[in-house]
Amino acid sequence: MSDDFISVDRLSKRFGPVTALVEVSLGVRRGEFLSMLGPSGCGKTTLLRAIAGFIEPSSGEIRIDGKVMNAVPPNRRPVNTVFQNYALFPHMTVWENVAFGPRRRGVPRREIAGQVSEVLAMVGMEDFGARYPRALSGGQQQRVALARAIVNRPRVLLLDEPLGALDLKLRKRMQVELKRLHERLGLTFIYVTHDQEEALAMSDRIAVMKAGEIVQLGTGEEIYRNPVSRYVADFIGEANLIDCVAEPGGAVRLGPDRAALPYASAAAGPATLMVRPEDIRVGDPGRVDGAVALSATVRDKVFIGQSWRIFAVLPTGQEITVQPGSSHEAERLVPGAVTPLWWPRERGRILVQ
Amino acid sequence: MRIGRFEAILLLGGPVLFLVVFFIAPFALMTIASLQQKSGEWSAGQYAKLATDRYYWEILLETFKIGLWVAFVTFVLGYALAYYITFQVKTRFVRRVIFLVVVTPLFTSNIVRSFAWIIMLGRQGIVNQGLQASGLTSEPLSLVYSKTGVIIGLSYVLLPFMVLTVSSILQNLNQTLLEAARDLGASPLMAFLKVTFPLSLPGVIAGSLMVFTLAVSAYVTPSVMSGGRFNVMPMLIFQQYMVLFDFNFGAALAILLMITTLLLMGAYVLALERRARTLG
Repeated sequence: MSDDFISVDRLSKRFGPVTALVEVSLGVRRGEFLSMLGPSGCGKTTLLRAIAGFIEPSSGEIRIDGKVMNAVPPNRRPVNTVFQNYALFPHMTVWENVAFGPRRRGVPRREIAGQVSEVLAMVGMEDFGARYPRALSGGQQQRVALARAIVNRPRVLLLDEPLGALDLKLRKRMQVELKRLHERLGLTFIYVTHDQEEALAMSDRIAVMKAGEIVQLGTGEEIYRNPVSRYVADFIGEANLIDCVAEPGGAVRLGPDRAALPYASAAAGPATLMVRPEDIRVGDPGRVDGAVALSATVRDKVFIGQSWRIFAVLPTGQEITVQPGSSHEAERLVPGAVTPLWWPRERGRILVQ
Repeated sequence: MRIGRFEAILLLGGPVLFLVVFFIAPFALMTIASLQQKSGEWSAGQYAKLATDRYYWEILLETFKIGLWVAFVTFVLGYALAYYITFQVKTRFVRRVIFLVVVTPLFTSNIVRSFAWIIMLGRQGIVNQGLQASGLTSEPLSLVYSKTGVIIGLSYVLLPFMVLTVSSILQNLNQTLLEAARDLGASPLMAFLKVTFPLSLPGVIAGSLMVFTLAVSAYVTPSVMSGGRFNVMPMLIFQQYMVLFDFNFGAALAILLMITTLLLMGAYVLALERRARTLG
């Protein structure tokens, strides 16, 4: 789209025999928080580095604010990066690290002091100016790395798994802080992570990647509710992927001699019915319209604090995981019991891949 | 695995014995000799002779000047080469070949290497022929048998030490730091000046210390390259022992060289210690 702030157009990158990016196209809107999500090796970091200018594309184009960036070196792009291992200069103080960018750009000394103080205060590190990076904890280093990047007021902030090295609690807190910073500064954030919870918590939109391609791009809710493939369904949140058969003519059944499910499939042949554990309820649907009901044999149940996790087996032999919200229904179940299960029709999806 | 006391003594014994026999004992003997007259009686006469004769201090000064020049030349050439090997060479194979080329001369005798330079720098040598052929000079330059020749010879001989120390630091440099510098707006040159070079200083310090001390204590190369035209301290010491048979004075000269070198090294290291400390 021409009104995208950053547009990646059919970008490919080959490293010898390995193709890291396969004709990737992506449009990033001005001011949005976009995450690139995927497992190691899916190409998300390669794509980020290509936007930053550290990687030269094998083919394709990158534009920022309409200008082609392919031949532009990293120090001339309106982009700043927060690196995974922070990359703070060990021979400079926190203050000097943050002042590095403004100094290179020729900002007058009087202004630099003000800018550095302001941005250090934004990340809560205003008292640490004289310290050296090795005297800081991981979380503190990360905040300095952030400050060092945003002091330059880049149009785009690139973040390469910045929270990876932090412990869980700190990570959750930093996620909130980053989101707040994003809202406060109004910059475009491009965030790389392999943690789907993180991506869901922070992003306006998520680009799910696999093997060098973007397999789905949308808001967290869109991707969660309407995954486009087994891979996406499985990667984001938890999903039951139930094998079923689609007949020519449209009907979908668990097996050839089973009742028809209220779903349709465009193509005939093997298909996957996806339904998330938390959407399945125990018991009779009662008068709920269009509910999908079947029975399963309970194999096991585990208490996980907020609810129960029930492992059951369908009549076809397939395993299914149920995580009902309320504990009452689940409490009554015993392993070996046959129980009715149901879910609202719209919570299930037919996936063809 | 805990080492018992007996094993510890055994393990340490070898190196310590070696050190005592080949360093501490000779050093002690020399110190004693320097405080004696030829007859064996104790006196400070050797040092008095040193203190009153300007000649020896001039030679000492010249020796140090040569040492500094050699440290400087090897720094410029050695750093450039180390940088090239680390950052410009793409294939590991080529890098290893270059290392081999740099290190192998260390296995050759210094005499042979120095004489090779005599041939190359001589009036009919390759260097002069090249300079005249390219029109830069009209007459052959007198490059050997001079202070310049000694500096050239020593720089060549000691270059591998600088290259090795600097390139080992450069190779361990975190590349992401350079990316961060570029990302923040630094040109390749500024990234080098502000990040790469400061972080490589420990290597430069180690290399220049090594080169300097080796240069001021060098005997073979200055002997060959000076052609008898002038002296450096090691040559002087050698003469005292082997020509004049004045072991006492020779010892005093050697002790003087050692102490002054140690003082210089100490000052150098102290001055740069503050810098090195902040690098963690």
